[in-house]
Amino acid sequence: MNDAKPSQREAIQNILLRLELWFAPILIIVPLGVSLFLVWDWYARGGSLGLSSYDGELLLGLLILIGNLAIDIPFLRSIRTLRKKG
Amino acid sequence: MAQYQADIIEQLNAVEVDAHWFRRAFHTFAASFLVYYLIPSDGWVGAIKIIIPTGIVACIAIIDYGRIRGEFDQRRFFGLRGYEKGRPASYLYFGVGLLLLLVLVPQQIAIPCILCVSFTDPLIGESRYYLGKQRAYILGFVVSLFFFLLTWYRAEWWVLLLVALLGASGALIGEAKKWKWIDDDFMIQILPAILLTLFWQVMLLTGNTILPPPLIHPI
Repeated sequence: MNDAKPSQREAIQNILLRLELWFAPILIIVPLGVSLFLVWDWYARGGSLGLSSYDGELLLGLLILIGNLAIDIPFLRSIRTLRKKG
Repeated sequence: MAQYQADIIEQLNAVEVDAHWFRRAFHTFAASFLVYYLIPSDGWVGAIKIIIPTGIVACIAIIDYGRIRGEFDQRRFFGLRGYEKGRPASYLYFGVGLLLLLVLVPQQIAIPCILCVSFTDPLIGESRYYLGKQRAYILGFVVSLFFFLLTWYRAEWWVLLLVALLGASGALIGEAKKWKWIDDDFMIQILPAILLTLFWQVMLLTGNTILPPPLIHPI
């Protein structure tokens, strides 16, 4: 992509925008769904019954949730910027 | 205009269409694959658990083979770096590494390695712009250390310490060392896994079982 000329760059930018818009829901919703499921599973099978063996699922669920939110926000911003340019 | 000035301008122009947040989001998305461990391993479900990921990676490999041979337009593969044009792309290495971890390695070893490729890699990549290379690697090492401590917190203290140091060092070397044919997306997850598997096996030979209980329990 580094060797793209200005006209090519415009074309790449358009396709890139389409790809990002197409993938964005998957990239955002799936990790959030998995993390919330892990937290729910911890609560249903461990937390509510006082079992500590499920605590790992809570830790991982929170980690996936926070890690993905931290990236999703600038990712969505970048899509918005590309959309404005388009 | 001098050549170096032209190069800088070209790099700046490339940043405009750089899919770098897209790549970062793909990395963090990979943590979702931990859902694999919620699926039971018994019977036909266990077989499907291996067949489907292998099939997906095989499809990616076929597409990438076509790309390298020139059957598909390189420009359609976004986020591809210049040096990936003549060799397998990083997403293929990423997928193969993930598959090997999920299928071959116990989850106690695989989970922190997957967390490293999901979060440490984009963190180093992003913080490099603000902190410089050295500090970004130190930050990456500390975060990797945290992942190994978090996932092995039920192990004995000396095992926890050794595993965290060994794993984080492996992840950092995998990320920092640039190999010509092997991508860092593969090495950052596989190198710590190899080191920990060796450690685990050596300890088994000496009669010590060091693996803590699994973190994720199948439904």
